[in-house]
Amino acid sequence: MSVYTVERLRVTIAGATVVEDVSFSIGAGECVALAGASGSGKTQSCLAPFGLAAGQASGSVRLLGEQLIGVGEPRLRQLRGRNAGFVFQQPLTALSPHLTIASQLSEAWRPPGAPAPSRADMMLALEEVGLATPDIILRQYPHRLSGGQRQRVLIAMALAHRPALLVADEPTSALDAPLRADILALLDRLRADRGLALLLVSHDLAAVARHATRVVILNRGRVEESGDAARVLAAPEARYTQALIAATPRLSEPAPSLPMPGKRLLEASDIRVSFAAPGWRKGRILAVDGASIAVAEGEGLALVGGSGSGKSTLARAIGRLGPLDAGKVLWRGRLLPRRADMTPADRRPIQPVFQDPVASLDPRWTVERIVAEPLMPLGLASATRRDRVVAVLEEVGLDASFAGRRPASLSGGQAQRVAIARALAVDPALLLLDEATSALDVLVAGRVLELLETLLRRRGLAMLLITHDLAVARRLCRRIAVMDAGRIVEQGEMEKIIAAPAHPASRRLIAASS
Amino acid sequence: MRGYPAIIVITVIVLAAALGPMALAWRYDAIDWQAIHAAPMVRGHLVGTDAVGRDLLARTLVGARVTLAVAVAAAAVAMVIGVAWGAIAGWCGGRIDEAMMRIVDALYALPFMFVVILLMVLFGRSVLLVFLGIGAVEWLTMARVVRGQILSLKTRPFVLAAEAAGARPATIVLRHMLPNLAGIIIAYLLLTIPQVVMVESFLSFLGLGVQEPLTSLGILVKDGADDMDLAPLALLVPGALLVALLLAATSLGDRLRDRLQR
Repeated sequence: MSVYTVERLRVTIAGATVVEDVSFSIGAGECVALAGASGSGKTQSCLAPFGLAAGQASGSVRLLGEQLIGVGEPRLRQLRGRNAGFVFQQPLTALSPHLTIASQLSEAWRPPGAPAPSRADMMLALEEVGLATPDIILRQYPHRLSGGQRQRVLIAMALAHRPALLVADEPTSALDAPLRADILALLDRLRADRGLALLLVSHDLAAVARHATRVVILNRGRVEESGDAARVLAAPEARYTQALIAATPRLSEPAPSLPMPGKRLLEASDIRVSFAAPGWRKGRILAVDGASIAVAEGEGLALVGGSGSGKSTLARAIGRLGPLDAGKVLWRGRLLPRRADMTPADRRPIQPVFQDPVASLDPRWTVERIVAEPLMPLGLASATRRDRVVAVLEEVGLDASFAGRRPASLSGGQAQRVAIARALAVDPALLLLDEATSALDVLVAGRVLELLETLLRRRGLAMLLITHDLAVARRLCRRIAVMDAGRIVEQGEMEKIIAAPAHPASRRLIAASS
Repeated sequence: MRGYPAIIVITVIVLAAALGPMALAWRYDAIDWQAIHAAPMVRGHLVGTDAVGRDLLARTLVGARVTLAVAVAAAAVAMVIGVAWGAIAGWCGGRIDEAMMRIVDALYALPFMFVVILLMVLFGRSVLLVFLGIGAVEWLTMARVVRGQILSLKTRPFVLAAEAAGARPATIVLRHMLPNLAGIIIAYLLLTIPQVVMVESFLSFLGLGVQEPLTSLGILVKDGADDMDLAPLALLVPGALLVALLLAATSLGDRLRDRLQR
């Protein structure tokens, strides 16, 4: 029997239609995944019928046989409290910072007026979502928990009143790869144990499709394709789905042939970075603890690890863009000076590209001025400078008309191309790519990755790629260094480590990416 | 934009203060012996005269001129010191930041009105000293705001990218950071102006402001308060102008700040 049935759903926001003609149904114990790029209407289609999003829903939406469209807020609230549970993307903002987990969890036992749950009930609920020390967690405030723990608490809250349907809106997007796999496995288990109907929303088709019974692919508010998950993933019919699947790198692909590395370019040894611990008590947190890496000309080195493992801090310390306590960095055999003493000539060969493309461009500058910035210390004539800017813009796939635009008028992918163009303007030998594709939509990220591959081959650029996604790393890098808790726990050739990982942290990353 | 009424009020007051006195029949310091404490519309005095027969409207407009000039100049002094201090502290960080911000804390703790009064007593009364004295105590908030914003901008990727591009620290602060803070600086500047007007009026009220026959809104309110049972307009006219100016500048500053800090 179907728990949740959506027929010809249409959602409008201020008169504009954002979702049209979406239909699917979920039975007990089934999982339907709504996938698509951002702005495709997936969140609106799953939350608007419940009155939880800005959009106005019309059509027919039935939960356990009862129509949700047009019933009015009081009844909707009852239905939400009784028959449906919700898990959202940001596990930190979804919890109230000044209440303990115990008081927030007990609030989740609805309907209002029901007796408060006993401590044993709450401990049981937390154990069920895989939290090993529920008695400690109940006493904590949200900021003391990790992202994965918070998401588990939210799932426990969503399930506390035993709903028939769980709506999970991008439940893993804010988490890193190993945690993503854990949370999806937890949702799988709960679905099987409880006969829960699960509506899973994600922009990452490959990740969710393996867990779903059926998938619905949305593009610009319309259904591109829907059907059995295994079938859609293996033999997609719609061109959009094919593009979506092709754009997602997977470890099961054959290993790419990458150019042979040249002479030793960069050698960082025994890097240590610490930060002052927050709060009144004095003390320092060791973010990077004696890490050593080396990169050769034209070689890609992937620095992978979970969030908080210190990979970005290490890369910034090496690129002289962040703090550094101890350790030395040799560039072509010459010692790099301290951050404050770096000259433009020292900096030119090492150029960074950051994760958030919009934040890495000064919002008040034009694209031309942004890309020309690294050229300023060279003292070129303005015509020469302009030619260089146009040339690198073309190299990253943007035409000269972009030169006069400002960052606010660029899409995420275009902004990231501008950031790459700025890095290329001074002909660097090494690019520091700090999660350069992970803030972008799947299709856009795929094209930026292609661009980076072209640069690697054509320009013979070396790259230090920071990522938590091994499949992305494998497209660009011959070698890999796995970081965990500030240390490099394993380092070597990519294919060897993927085939036979030695450290548990590497095994977790590989399991999450395959 | 919903700040229109405030903008209109400020524009009208500024234009009236700048041009109004020239259009009136009487000068602000001319004494009309036939019209002491005159009612409105007597012998060409539109809102009457004060206790020594000077035209009240002319004096109010000239007083507004002085008050506005002091306010703008003092706010500009506050902005220059505050922005420079905050930007240097925020950019350098570490010990320099600690030391500079503790100085700000210490100055905050001083009864600043007392400092200004002391300056007046030591160096005598002059409009210039009023400018400088007020500006020198009003920059503290600006310094804190700018420092906080610079600290948060410092870790933004576009600032790191500028560093990687080989830009010098001064270039980064002047070309990347301050332009991005212009909105917030202007908003706080607008919020400083009413504070300065209040301080100036208060000093004048105590008799420490500008010298007669030159006047300011504060002096006029004080003189008017002395005669309020006899000639209420001498209090109400400059008082109303002062209130309108303060309300408009504060509401415009608040609105700008809210828009920028969303």
